[in-house]
Amino acid sequence: MTSPDKDMLTIALPKGKLFQPAADRLARFGYTAEGLSENSRKLVIVNETKKIQFIITKPMDLPTYVEYGAADIGIIGKDVLLEESKDVYELLDMKFGLCRLMLAVPAALRREKLSDYAHLRVATKYPRVAEQFFLNNGIQMEIIKLNGSIELAPMVGLAEMIVDIVETGRTLKENHLLEVAHLHRATARFIANRVSFKMKFERIHQMVEELRTLQEEESQS
Amino acid sequence: MSRHDYIPQVPYGTKDILPLDAARKRDVENDLARLFLAWGYQEVITPTFEYYETLRASAPEAADDSSFRFFDRSGRMLALRPDMTTPIARVAVMRLKESPLPLRLFYLANVFRQEEAQAGRQCEFYQAGVELLGAGGIAADAEVVALAVESLLAAGLVDFQVCLGQVDFISGIMAEAELDAVLGHKVKRALVERNMVGLGELLAECRVEPGSRDLLQQLPMLHGKLDMLQSVRRRVKNETSQAALDNLADIYQLLEKYGIDRHVMFDLGIIRDFDYYTGMVFETYTAGLGYPICGGGRYDRMAGFFGREQPATGFALGIERVLLALERQGLDTVRSARGVYVGWAEGKLPQAIAAVKRLRDEGETAELGLQEQSRATAERESKLRGCERCLYID
Repeated sequence: MTSPDKDMLTIALPKGKLFQPAADRLARFGYTAEGLSENSRKLVIVNETKKIQFIITKPMDLPTYVEYGAADIGIIGKDVLLEESKDVYELLDMKFGLCRLMLAVPAALRREKLSDYAHLRVATKYPRVAEQFFLNNGIQMEIIKLNGSIELAPMVGLAEMIVDIVETGRTLKENHLLEVAHLHRATARFIANRVSFKMKFERIHQMVEELRTLQEEESQS
Repeated sequence: MSRHDYIPQVPYGTKDILPLDAARKRDVENDLARLFLAWGYQEVITPTFEYYETLRASAPEAADDSSFRFFDRSGRMLALRPDMTTPIARVAVMRLKESPLPLRLFYLANVFRQEEAQAGRQCEFYQAGVELLGAGGIAADAEVVALAVESLLAAGLVDFQVCLGQVDFISGIMAEAELDAVLGHKVKRALVERNMVGLGELLAECRVEPGSRDLLQQLPMLHGKLDMLQSVRRRVKNETSQAALDNLADIYQLLEKYGIDRHVMFDLGIIRDFDYYTGMVFETYTAGLGYPICGGGRYDRMAGFFGREQPATGFALGIERVLLALERQGLDTVRSARGVYVGWAEGKLPQAIAAVKRLRDEGETAELGLQEQSRATAERESKLRGCERCLYID
């Protein structure tokens, strides 16, 4: 639910690598609160003077908080939005946290064409995105949903392939995995609840514009 | 599985409404029915399921994606109604052909959608709504919006916002941008998914005239009062969109006369779930609820699917959502206690029956004890059952 206090704006931030850059960018415009850190023991961190409060969630849960209106707005990776496909406004590409969703395979199992891979087991944190990709390419696969350390799966024979996010490609290389196909490019996005965006339009709109200007400055420098 | 292992469940997305909630629901529904009648709307009740083709004729996507479907004995496909607008359009064309127009109809009904359940929207949920059939023009649209506002007030909500949009505004700009069919479809999908980033990427890829591109990109930001409407009016060049904006301004003037304009704003980016809308559309939001509580608009082509063109406009509100909003805003009426408990001593049952009858005739709620008991037991029983007071007959 949106906070019954109509003036309070609730911002959801994801744990993990997007947290700090997201918090820093918001702080540039005064959207911050005392004690706001990823390891905060407090679950809700309030800034009474600015009438904002922060919640910090697991990345995969963040779109749900925003869809239900438990948070008015949030910052989250496009990879999570693709997987969760929630009914929220995606208002701004924040252009940081760039990563790619890749299909990868151990070097030993490499085949010539994409269509040569079929009826294999694919381990992933993104079952829906993977499913959609294989569907679009007419490939039948068995998808195994895991919650982390995806690159372990082919090493121990749980799966032959993986679909996972890749930032630099180092983890893949270290585990002797080769990129087979590029599914999506993902950056951090600014999202808003569909009702909050209307009821708190001025504040959210202003925030989006501020963040947009920041980006333009950054891209020029 | 042995009989003892069986744990009863209700199907996914359904729920039992227990006495306290059922009473609150009944209260709100009664208030709404009274209001609709006062505005000259008559109740209709339609079958819970329809032939699938009927539902598909007017709202193919909703019927395909989210309806519960099954077969009758002759193999024809049936579907539980995903909304009431289509069944009522069918009734109007099939059964009420000779009634004088405009027809004013209302309903209180459960509808069914096979989608992910969320707070305030299960797979089976309850709606109240009106349909105003056979009337084009702004008077009909304004009446429907005004009645929606009055409905929410009658239900007990105080603070809410109605946003008016116009589907012709968007289609005018889409036409002006001269998008080809594929791109047009993609743009529409991005709008429906509220994916402004994706929309921006699509528009950057293609050669679209900058004026209409900016308007498309800014659609969800086109939110405000009359001054916003006027400034957008100066920016659009195509007649369809201009007419749409004039239409909204005209409706707004009437809403001022209804005295409800303080609840009303414009939002030119409103995209409704159903494809059948053709003119003004609106959604209503309230604090404490992450999704609209009420929505509707004009759908002039629907009756045509059933063989007779006829303009129409209407709205539906979600009963559970209204109840949830009332609860979260601390506005739900506290139900009075359960009235009088009547206990009785040995041999006094006839007198006790006379006593409850008298109480009920006087308009009180009275519950009769079904066994003789002492005064102390009766009082304990009364308290346990949440009754306001205890009457003991000895």
